[in-house]
Amino acid sequence: MPLDIDRFAHLESPLQRWDPRVKLFTLGTFAFSVALLKTLPIAIIAWCIAVIILRQSGLPYAFVSSSIKWIIFFLLPFFIIMPLSYPGEAAFEVIGLPFAWEGLQLASLIFIKAVAIILTTFAMFGTARFDVSMIALQHLKCPKILVQMLLFTYRYTFVFLEEMRRMQTAMRARGFVMKSDIKTMQVMGNFVGTLLVRSFERSERVYKAMLSKGYQGELHSMVTFKSVRQDYVNAALVLVTAITLLALDLSGLFLPAKQGWF
Amino acid sequence: MHISDGILEWPTLVAGGVGTVAMAAYTLRKLDLDDIPKVSVITSVFFVASLIHVPIGFSSVHLILNGLVGVVLGMRAFPAIMLGIILQTILFGHGGITVIGVNCVMLGGGGLCAYAVWQLRHRFHFKKNEMVFGALAGATGIFSSGIILALALLTTGKEFAVVAGLALGAHIPVMIVEGLVVGACAAFLAKVKPDALAGQRPIVIAPTDAAQPSTTSADEDTPK
Repeated sequence: MPLDIDRFAHLESPLQRWDPRVKLFTLGTFAFSVALLKTLPIAIIAWCIAVIILRQSGLPYAFVSSSIKWIIFFLLPFFIIMPLSYPGEAAFEVIGLPFAWEGLQLASLIFIKAVAIILTTFAMFGTARFDVSMIALQHLKCPKILVQMLLFTYRYTFVFLEEMRRMQTAMRARGFVMKSDIKTMQVMGNFVGTLLVRSFERSERVYKAMLSKGYQGELHSMVTFKSVRQDYVNAALVLVTAITLLALDLSGLFLPAKQGWF
Repeated sequence: MHISDGILEWPTLVAGGVGTVAMAAYTLRKLDLDDIPKVSVITSVFFVASLIHVPIGFSSVHLILNGLVGVVLGMRAFPAIMLGIILQTILFGHGGITVIGVNCVMLGGGGLCAYAVWQLRHRFHFKKNEMVFGALAGATGIFSSGIILALALLTTGKEFAVVAGLALGAHIPVMIVEGLVVGACAAFLAKVKPDALAGQRPIVIAPTDAAQPSTTSADEDTPK
């Protein structure tokens, strides 16, 4: 799993040139409207649109797929559980369990929507430097304190990842092998505890250093944003598509995957 | 542990969002200026620690540690867990941007429940107090999150009853592992750095002179 989502932020593409404020708002709205879809054909169209948007960004295929494969792994059980546990008429039986096509349809809907939204997330955050995206979020009225904490956390994640790998190497060098017994759990507890103590002490030092550089709860950034007409044209295009999809979805032209108590 | 995009209906998503905003507003109000870097730095430790996989039998689980966040940060656990979830969504696409609210309520709520259990240790006095209540808090964190997860799935429809049941069952081994790890970790911290634990008496988490920059000496270690 790549931790540095902004590894390919330097690429030249329409998505990278798009004003991050407008981009985050537009694609965020698109993701939410995909989450509300209820019919399979429209969800497939939304998935295609998400793929088209992501293709514009020029992010390498391997970079995206390395994350996507985990999501697919998480969602696969739905394809087995949903058809077999769907209440109602069963099409046929599999080893004594009723198999319902509606369940399979519901599972596919969930799967396609999830992948579409994740692809959109990549287009949102993979196409600008992380700090630029965060400052853009602040311009979109995201609380200042939250943006600041996200920036800190992101920064220190890499430091502690390195620290953790070093400690793990040390443990292996001393002959530690993970097993499923109480001893391993205790060692892992101590491991996490050590990591915590080290980070506590580091955070004290970091805070003092920040104070001495004049930190007063504000984070100043050199990032400035400029939006041109093309940005708004792109935004309008995506938003109109999202509204059209929702309207088609609600129009009743397609059979919704039955879901819910109603 | 998280719900993926595309499963829940909009009423549940909205309820999760509202719940998260309310809980975040309440817990962030108690945050001081000097808490901001600290909570963030500790959040990144938990973020990193959640990448550790522990073997159980023929499979393995990754640590969630929302109980330990409650044990270490107390009420500040909620913003910390929220940060972790937002970051996980942005970096890995785990969960998804539409379910951030529900996931925060689920894991953050578990963290706060764990803190409540952890605070009960003041009522009892025996040896290895911290280890026992740390283990209970760790298990509580997962247990309450599992309950919230099952409830969220059930609001979506009766088709999800089996999925909810299976999800809850899958949490039992995780609960045991987390209980053991958090118990050991709490005992370790009580021995090595007791003021790192939440709700210790007396509470010494932040040096009181930290608010006066002029008196604080600069350290060699700078944020890179």
